Amino acid sequence: MTQTRLNIHHVARIEGHGNVNIEVQDGVLTDVEMNITEPARMFEQMVRGRSCTEVSYIASRICGICSPNHAITSLLCLEDAMGIEVSERTSKLRSLLIRGSYLQNHATHLYVLAAPDYVGLQSAFPLATAAPDVLSRALEIKRLGNELCNAVGGRSVHPNTCVIGGFTAEPDPKVLLALADRLQAIADDCIATGDLFGHFEVPDFKSQGDLLCLVEDDDYAVISGQTRALLSAWTRPVGEYRDFIIERSRPYSNAKFSTLPNGRTFMTGAIARVNQSWGKLSPAARIVAAKAGLRPVWLNSFKNNLSQAIELVDCVERCAQLCREIAADTGSSAPAPFEFKSGHGVAATEAPRGTVYYEIDVDDKGRVEYANILTPTAQSLANLENDLRLFVPRIVDRDPDTFKMLVEKLVRAYDPCLSCAVH
Amino acid sequence: MAGKKVFGLNQINPASHALEHKEAAKVAVFGLASDFGCQVQMTNIERELLDVLGMFELVYWQLVSSAPLPEDFDIAIIEGAVCTQEHVETLQWIRERAKVVIAIGACAVTGGIPGLARGNVDDFAKRVYGDVPASCGSMASPRPVSDIIAVDFTVPGCPIEPLELVAVLQRALMGGNPEAGGRSMCGDCRLNEDVCFFERGRICLGLVTRAGCGAPCIKLGYPCNGCRGLAASANLDSARDIVAGYGLDVADFDARLQIFNKAGQDSSRS
Repeated sequence: MTQTRLNIHHVARIEGHGNVNIEVQDGVLTDVEMNITEPARMFEQMVRGRSCTEVSYIASRICGICSPNHAITSLLCLEDAMGIEVSERTSKLRSLLIRGSYLQNHATHLYVLAAPDYVGLQSAFPLATAAPDVLSRALEIKRLGNELCNAVGGRSVHPNTCVIGGFTAEPDPKVLLALADRLQAIADDCIATGDLFGHFEVPDFKSQGDLLCLVEDDDYAVISGQTRALLSAWTRPVGEYRDFIIERSRPYSNAKFSTLPNGRTFMTGAIARVNQSWGKLSPAARIVAAKAGLRPVWLNSFKNNLSQAIELVDCVERCAQLCREIAADTGSSAPAPFEFKSGHGVAATEAPRGTVYYEIDVDDKGRVEYANILTPTAQSLANLENDLRLFVPRIVDRDPDTFKMLVEKLVRAYDPCLSCAVH
Repeated sequence: MAGKKVFGLNQINPASHALEHKEAAKVAVFGLASDFGCQVQMTNIERELLDVLGMFELVYWQLVSSAPLPEDFDIAIIEGAVCTQEHVETLQWIRERAKVVIAIGACAVTGGIPGLARGNVDDFAKRVYGDVPASCGSMASPRPVSDIIAVDFTVPGCPIEPLELVAVLQRALMGGNPEAGGRSMCGDCRLNEDVCFFERGRICLGLVTRAGCGAPCIKLGYPCNGCRGLAASANLDSARDIVAGYGLDVADFDARLQIFNKAGQDSSRS
């Protein structure tokens, strides 16, 4: 009997530190573990006892990419706990900030982290000479996403203008209108991104998990809505998240793992949103999907990348439109005065990689008594592990380099954020 | 200023001097415990980074490249706080090889936000996990990089201002000295003609925080939370007197000071 360990140490081109441990006996897969080694970070405990006014500032440090989501979800949660209403303008600015982070995240993930897999490179740097047009397109989308986040959030990493009740500062309408024009101008670049990823060949593969994301009746949900499980066909209020997402720790991972109550794993992020909110996508986004041969529901996890590209096409239009709406609107986003009062809040938003849930209890002095945070990667990690159980037996006889490349390609298709996952 | 090894203003930095005759310095980027935000900021200066790539050879940067860790490099850029025994060993391994070590971001420079767990690591871990996973390894109280190895340059902030890193890389390459980091932020606000938060009845840590960012948060209506760490000239006792003088709560000031300085304060600073 020969036992082989095909471990992949510290998967590159993802955020955070993690290994994939794979064990094979006599050519048969016996074990797969997503061994997440990102150091325990313990944010839920670090905010305990602190003033609720500091929560969004501290919690945004969970993730360098989706910091807008951590900031805004914690604010929505505290506003829920203390019964604070915000203006429509504040909601629009929050939505714009998060959508701006989609542009930044998806462009970075697709071109810098994932694309090298499809063209046989170690990194995107050689593209500077080999395919300058492609790299330039990537950087322009990413840059505009960052500029949008800078304009609304004060900066792209760890926004500092969003506070309980509103924003401490706002971009000038002229800045928003100029951004709208520039966003409109890169719409074709986003479509070209979709076409590029539509042409990349991915293994024929079907994940067994469900797809979870927020849904809204009349919008492509990002800062509100209910949780929908597409294949199990149920919709539940986010306040009941503990009843439909079961989170447990496992000895080999610093990140927790999630399943539905019946043990089924699930995927989050662009693949869930695009499938779920298909009818709300822009025509241009649906054309890109159709050209790539996609119609809901697709369950090939490798196509999460293509789903991100489709979302990019839709998102850039929404961002331009939101910029114009906010510039034309005369409402205020100035933080409404509020008084501390004890309460319990739950809120969720859609981050680039999936749904972020926050649950916070505050006391009557505004101090945090309890906090619980669910991040997208911690939710989809169990599904990734299951995908690997299905996929690895198919490639186990490949040469070591190809084997490693294919396993990493599947991991990277999830766009995992292990820093977030551990939080 | 953070760091066990601080170069005097008029002393040539021997570490970076060693790079002088190299054609392209080999740069390796390492991450300890962090949110990768500073590395994301590095990807956000891609155009500038591509411009200076001729001066550097990026030999290792796991966030953006699958190239394996080499034995040989000149400059180590380190992000993140030291949170495990494995981190300590990694840092010692890096220091044995790197001619220049640059700590970037609040986590690496002061212990940053991870430092909030200082003194409570075991209790927090039990509350988060119940049974703490074996994979957590040997957890230790979060510390700045300079608590473990000598650091030649620091780029403070949460996140870093990426062009500040480019400037520091140039200093490292040309044999320049590190910034002394003496001033606090108040002068910047005067130059910006911003109304002081204390005048508006709110606590602001700019009073004791290392200057250099240009005070953008204050401009955006958000008081300083001290992400760049304490200024060398910071006088905490005198700052507390000022806080009390404005009728504000000194306990609040001290609590806010913890956000980025808990690890630093507990260890090397006092």
